[in-house]
Amino acid sequence: MSKINLDNISHTYNPSDPEPTYALNPFSMTWENGKRYAILGPSGCGKTTMLNIVSGLVRPSAGSILFDDKDVTDLKTEDRNIAQVFQFPVIYNTMTVFENLAFPLLCRDFVKEKINERVNSVAETLNLKSFLQSPARKLTADQKQLISLGRGLVREDVAAVLMDEPLTVIDPDLKFRLRRKLKEINEQFKTTLVYVTHDQNEAMTFADNIIVMSDGEVVQAGTPKELFERPNTTFVGYFIGSPAMNLFETEASPNDCVKINDTLIKTNTNLSKLKEKKIKLGIRSEFIDIASDQRENLISVEVQKVEDLGNYKLLTAKTGDLTIKSKIKRETEVPDRDVKLHIPADKCCVYENENLV
Amino acid sequence: MGKLYKILKYFFITFWAVFVVAPFLWALTTSFKDFNSVNGGATYIPWVDFEPKLEGWRVLIKSPANGGVDIIEPYFNSLFVTCTASLISIILGTLSAYALSRFTFKAGFVKNNDITFFFISQRIMPPIVLSIPFFLFLGAINLLDSLIGLIVVYIVLLMPIAVWIMVDFFNKVPREIDETALIDGCNPYQAFFKVVLPNSIPGLIVAGMFCIIFGWIDFFFAFILTFTEVQLLPVKIVALNSSITPWWSLSASALISVAPLIIVAFVVERYLSKGNLSGAIK
Repeated sequence: MSKINLDNISHTYNPSDPEPTYALNPFSMTWENGKRYAILGPSGCGKTTMLNIVSGLVRPSAGSILFDDKDVTDLKTEDRNIAQVFQFPVIYNTMTVFENLAFPLLCRDFVKEKINERVNSVAETLNLKSFLQSPARKLTADQKQLISLGRGLVREDVAAVLMDEPLTVIDPDLKFRLRRKLKEINEQFKTTLVYVTHDQNEAMTFADNIIVMSDGEVVQAGTPKELFERPNTTFVGYFIGSPAMNLFETEASPNDCVKINDTLIKTNTNLSKLKEKKIKLGIRSEFIDIASDQRENLISVEVQKVEDLGNYKLLTAKTGDLTIKSKIKRETEVPDRDVKLHIPADKCCVYENENLV
Repeated sequence: MGKLYKILKYFFITFWAVFVVAPFLWALTTSFKDFNSVNGGATYIPWVDFEPKLEGWRVLIKSPANGGVDIIEPYFNSLFVTCTASLISIILGTLSAYALSRFTFKAGFVKNNDITFFFISQRIMPPIVLSIPFFLFLGAINLLDSLIGLIVVYIVLLMPIAVWIMVDFFNKVPREIDETALIDGCNPYQAFFKVVLPNSIPGLIVAGMFCIIFGWIDFFFAFILTFTEVQLLPVKIVALNSSITPWWSLSASALISVAPLIIVAFVVERYLSKGNLSGAIK
């Protein structure tokens, strides 16, 4: 287990081109020992490249990687003591489940007793104990992925376990249990876990820290709460949360207000330097509610539809040309007319050039 | 519809089985006939239609001094040359194929696919084109009419087959398997020998089978590059022929020359049908 430092890392797959395109733009980051990280972003944004750089399968075009302040940039994969689980199960077909799980330990010359102990412990954790002597190729896809996962977890001393969308092939119920199991393993053994996903729910429920990526760029890194409440960019606001953040194009008005369809909405952001500039107001649907006793920051809307989504209602309303979405409590009655929505000033995010002010 | 399909299916299978087995049965019965039984009209069933004789088989093991042809030595020569050349071709071909599948080579405009095609092109040109260069080459290094010389030539002929089959096979073995092995602590050689190669056994078997077949049945180069010191089975069988075609001994020699291939086919078939690679990923 180590602290992993990514220092000014960048990578291009066509370095000899006069104008190379970067799969990963320069960034620096520290992954603390024993924490859970999620790398979140759409397909092709550089998540897997980042993992492959850390595991040594890809050498970065620039920058350096440090494990506990030791530079490992030029260290081969096999010497890095890192574990990586791929999106689809990768198993050694000619081996049994036991041999698959024992393989990383055998390669590192562990003694037989230790191998038996570790393999049995991991098999117990992943419910693979009854299959230990079966040929690995005869298992189902999700059991095979458990083997992949098991090979990642069987070494106690790994610098980190990197997981590249590891639960894609696993059914939802087992997925939920495995995520919980991974959290338990992290808490028990203090193993650093890095989890790549494009599913924000997976990231939010799993990680202590989320790294959001877009187009080879690290857009924001922070706790799930930070990312949800104060997205650094409109991309993060749009990408995280369901439904996406409400975003309205507007202009700054006096007293840190913005104008939404002739209604002044007060914000807690200092907008004095942004007069007459095009800005965007962002507000999560979770923070918008039907006005009851509030006096300010109210906006009149025309209700378009109300969807009952089980544990909440999703209200879609219009004010002028703008569509506002609000998550309201299931028991809240929505009036037919004269509906006013309350937009809390402290939850408003103001963006200039798509970046948070 | 289902019943008709079943009837047609079994009819076709039976027809095909007869089509495949009939020449063997024909050769088998003929090998036990003598001149009179062969030339006295069509006969099929031993002891009923004709009296079986072992002369056709005896000729094959009798020395030329006793009126035989002695195919035992050529038989073992063929086995030795085919097995050695196939083994070396498979080893070299597998290593080349792995390199071509996993690493990028570039020399001017020549890239991986061009190198693979270069290997295959050795088999595209007619053998006659290669005969003179081979003859001169073996002559220059004093390996004409020798087993070693034949092995060298057969390696050149068989290795493209191994490369061709194995490149295609390795391309289908997911790279993640190699990468996982590296992550698990193997160096690239260990990853190849401990993980990739055991996963490639069906490919190795197919490549090995083709090498053995092509090596075993070659007549052309065995005929051109050997004279008196060394003879391979196909050349010897042809030498059996004379003004009166000895159908009985030709049939017997045909049967024993095809025997190793039948054994290989039976052994290999069970490995092929296992589909060892299926499910290595996904």
